[in-house]
Amino acid sequence: MRTIKKIKIVIAGPFAAGKTQFINTVSEIKTVKTERKTQAVGEKNVKEYTTVAMDFGKIRIDDEHELYLFGTPGQSRFDFMWEILGEGALGIIILVDSTDPSTFHEARRIINFFQSRFPVPMVVGANKQDLPNAWPPEDVASALDISEDEGIPVLPVSAIDKESVKKVLLALLEIIKEELSA
Amino acid sequence: MALTGDLKTFNFVDILQIIAKDRKSGILLVEWKDITVAYYVKDGEIIFARPVDRVFRVYAERDFDLLIEKLRISKENLFRTVQRFLIERLDMKEGVFSFTPGFVRYNTNYSVVYPVENIIMMASRTLTPEEVERKISDELILFEPVEGSQDRLKRVELTPEERKVFSLVNGERTVYDIRKDSGLENLTVDRALYGFLALGVIKRKKREKKQKPSIALDLLMKIIERIREL
Repeated sequence: MRTIKKIKIVIAGPFAAGKTQFINTVSEIKTVKTERKTQAVGEKNVKEYTTVAMDFGKIRIDDEHELYLFGTPGQSRFDFMWEILGEGALGIIILVDSTDPSTFHEARRIINFFQSRFPVPMVVGANKQDLPNAWPPEDVASALDISEDEGIPVLPVSAIDKESVKKVLLALLEIIKEELSA
Repeated sequence: MALTGDLKTFNFVDILQIIAKDRKSGILLVEWKDITVAYYVKDGEIIFARPVDRVFRVYAERDFDLLIEKLRISKENLFRTVQRFLIERLDMKEGVFSFTPGFVRYNTNYSVVYPVENIIMMASRTLTPEEVERKISDELILFEPVEGSQDRLKRVELTPEERKVFSLVNGERTVYDIRKDSGLENLTVDRALYGFLALGVIKRKKREKKQKPSIALDLLMKIIERIREL
């Protein structure tokens, strides 16, 4: 029996940034979720269920390869899962809720976490750009203290829109290509 | 498009960092617990502040020169409003803000007594330990000065402690080292670093070591094609 090789991209970001939706939008399988009812005060008001271990979606590349999109839990109390999921990742996408500046500092902390442990290409998706109160990507970049030479593009995205999600994935893959050719 | 948020989670240093970065102009409206204040921003500088009872009035008066004429405030005294309604409130942490870019027509130049860089540093001196922890979250973080930062700091009034902290940022000392070598309290060091980050005079040092992607180019090209087809 032929073994299928798995290629992994990690989708990380703060609580309620839209990671599960992002994966859902492009996955060819129904996203495998590990959700539980939110318990923490403050989280319950935002959404009813939250990822506690990981989500994953899958895109078949050819007969031998599959691309897995792994979504991490957003809360830092599950950061042991970030460590596990980051291992062997080809690249990392950090999603940020552009409408909620209260999560920007947490997003930066997550960027620092992955940068220090997994020096692989990374892009930031400034999500929920379809909402009227979304901060523009350039202001999200400033708020996250992402300097121009840090090499982390901050891209507009709406996780419910397939073309928009594809653009972010392609941007990450293009950076990987550049690094591979360098 | 307005940038909105809550001062509890996105403090004045953070707000001013965004405003100063691209030298934005517009109106920053803060609904404090006691009053609502409109801050008039021109090219990244806060030049005037006034309490408002009806928010729509702010948006109805677009010509700044006409407005201050109507309010009978001389250009020389504009800074006093900034002092009273902003500087004296920097340690207040409760309120919601909304910054609307553009909007106001500024016709002439106005002197700036409190440059935004100074206000950023003043605000950073009021940060609580919980607030500084949001950015200075790890004592192993490495910061380095941004090129030309010495020149940019010339117009900022720093305390001797802040100067000392800045002199220790060299891309080799970690936050832990800076705290230790400065002999200052951790909170003083962290507040200064937070302020410098907001001013854009220091930045996180980029990791030199990058991991070469572990994938063959032809497979990567296949993935790119596949994603495009989706």
